[in-house]
Amino acid sequence: MFAFTVARRYLLSSPGQTGLLLAGVALGVTVFVFITALVEGLAVRLTDEVTANSAHVSLQPQTRTARILEAPGLRAEGVALVSTFQRQQIREWRQVVALARAQAGVAAISPQISGSAFLVRGEAVQPVSVTGVEPESLDVVSPISTRIVEGRAQFGADGILIGRRLADELGLSAGQPVLLRTDRGAERLLTVRGIYRTGLQSLDERVAFLSLRTARPLFRLPEGVTNIEIKLDRPEEARALARFLEEATGLRSTPWQEKNTSLDDALIAQGQTGRLIQMFSLVSIVIGVASALVLSAYRRRPEIGIMRAAGVSSGFIARVFLLQGLMIGLIGALVGCATGYGVSAWLASLTGPDGDPMLPIAPERGGYPAALVLTTLGAVLASLLPARAASRVDPLEAIQQ
Amino acid sequence: MTPVLVARDVRKDFPNGDEVTRVLSGVDLELASGELVALLGVSGSGKSTLLSILGLLLTPTSGQIHIAGERVDDLSDRGRTLFRRRRLGFVFQAHHLLPDFTALENVAFPAAATAGGITSEIRARAADLLRRVGLEARMDFRAPRLSGGQKQRVAIARALINEPVLVLADEPTGNLDRQSAEQVLELMREMNRDQGITFLICTHDEHVAAQCSRRIQLSDGRVESDTGAT
Repeated sequence: MFAFTVARRYLLSSPGQTGLLLAGVALGVTVFVFITALVEGLAVRLTDEVTANSAHVSLQPQTRTARILEAPGLRAEGVALVSTFQRQQIREWRQVVALARAQAGVAAISPQISGSAFLVRGEAVQPVSVTGVEPESLDVVSPISTRIVEGRAQFGADGILIGRRLADELGLSAGQPVLLRTDRGAERLLTVRGIYRTGLQSLDERVAFLSLRTARPLFRLPEGVTNIEIKLDRPEEARALARFLEEATGLRSTPWQEKNTSLDDALIAQGQTGRLIQMFSLVSIVIGVASALVLSAYRRRPEIGIMRAAGVSSGFIARVFLLQGLMIGLIGALVGCATGYGVSAWLASLTGPDGDPMLPIAPERGGYPAALVLTTLGAVLASLLPARAASRVDPLEAIQQ
Repeated sequence: MTPVLVARDVRKDFPNGDEVTRVLSGVDLELASGELVALLGVSGSGKSTLLSILGLLLTPTSGQIHIAGERVDDLSDRGRTLFRRRRLGFVFQAHHLLPDFTALENVAFPAAATAGGITSEIRARAADLLRRVGLEARMDFRAPRLSGGQKQRVAIARALINEPVLVLADEPTGNLDRQSAEQVLELMREMNRDQGITFLICTHDEHVAAQCSRRIQLSDGRVESDTGAT
């Protein structure tokens, strides 16, 4: 295509100017890639931190409320009362677990008995949130067994696992007895089998783990469970699974995003800020390309005039300038993507004194296809104006210029 | 001989504020195939305007123009572009060669833009033209490396690449020294004599006019005299 040859020759005729123009486009794309990698990296890190230590979908019994009963022919109004003494529970939890386990993407399931209690040691009393789990499901919601700092992650018949902060507040160490008094009025002397440190204050200070079997009499639940916690291979699919399970079981099903709405809002706001910066980068690229090509079209007016006089079509002239925009956009975007990846990868490799990355940046998530397509498209759009101006050059005026 | 160009009562007015300036006041002209014609006139006589109208770079206010038997004064912009490409060649006072291209590429350009590239046939034709204008040794030189006379000879070769029926030249030697001007003039005479190409040369230089077989004198937008017509 001859227009391509001419466009390439035009760009190569001023290597300094073309180099500067390409550098400007590449810089804009580098900023685009870097910001995208940073925003995505931050989102990944925050999401990972939240989803690593919480269930992705939680199933609980529906909250029961008192309601008026109505029926045709019923003369007196009937009211369904709700007992505040009756413990809400999932009686058919085994069927629900089997149903959830059959769904694609479900990584682990933990039926639990959760409730409030006090840990008493001598004069010291501390409120705790107790979670009764099947021993093999201990690590489903949070990795506890790998975070044991004292003792072992085993329950036995009367074992309890507590966090480091709680142990310090009660002066407890592994192997010592402690009294657990539940909100159901039951109490039992248990032995601290293990002490864990997760780094999460809520877990280390206020949560204790028992075996499901030990928890049943303490919370007066001989058969059912209070909640079922589910982990997924892909946390972002939690909403869809929660919707399905709620419809299938009638239980209240909550995805992790609903429990962390502030995180969701923060990620959305952060994404919008990132998009704004990306947009400004693209706008600066478009302005840069347009102004350079407008100047080029003006400088080459006599040449364009002679081409037009010789019968070269205005479409050909327009194509020459559009192709210049395309080449600048494509090459600038490729260089910018490479530079953006390089900068992001280098920043991602920098670690702090604790060995953790200094910046939560994800170089592989730099939005490269978007950067490539948008920049190239933007540069072509930017060249529309100079292409139009060049194609409309009056040959006579231009030759006489 | 068959007329290459027939112009009848060609007028051109330019708006000038509320007034109208008449530059051509009814020009009648007929050029036969193979003529070498000088178009003379003092500054403001309308010769450049007439050349631009005959070259389809400007539309007349009224009048009819036929080139190679085809009426061209009422063509659309696209039609004029196509006609210029197929039938006309131009040589201007300033050569306006493309500085980023070699002499051969400059000559080939008008044909290559239509063909989608410099094909072997176009290359051969351009090389032959450059040989005929005596620049076969400068084919691969970029325009800035050529002298003023060489550039104008390349411009003449470029005007001939699409094998036009009429070449319009506007002061083709105006920017050249005497020696280069002589060479360029001799070249046009040679092309006219050997290949029968019709040249209409707009000039105010009597020496140039003396080399032509026919002189058309323009004055106040009209043909004042026409001598040597075949």
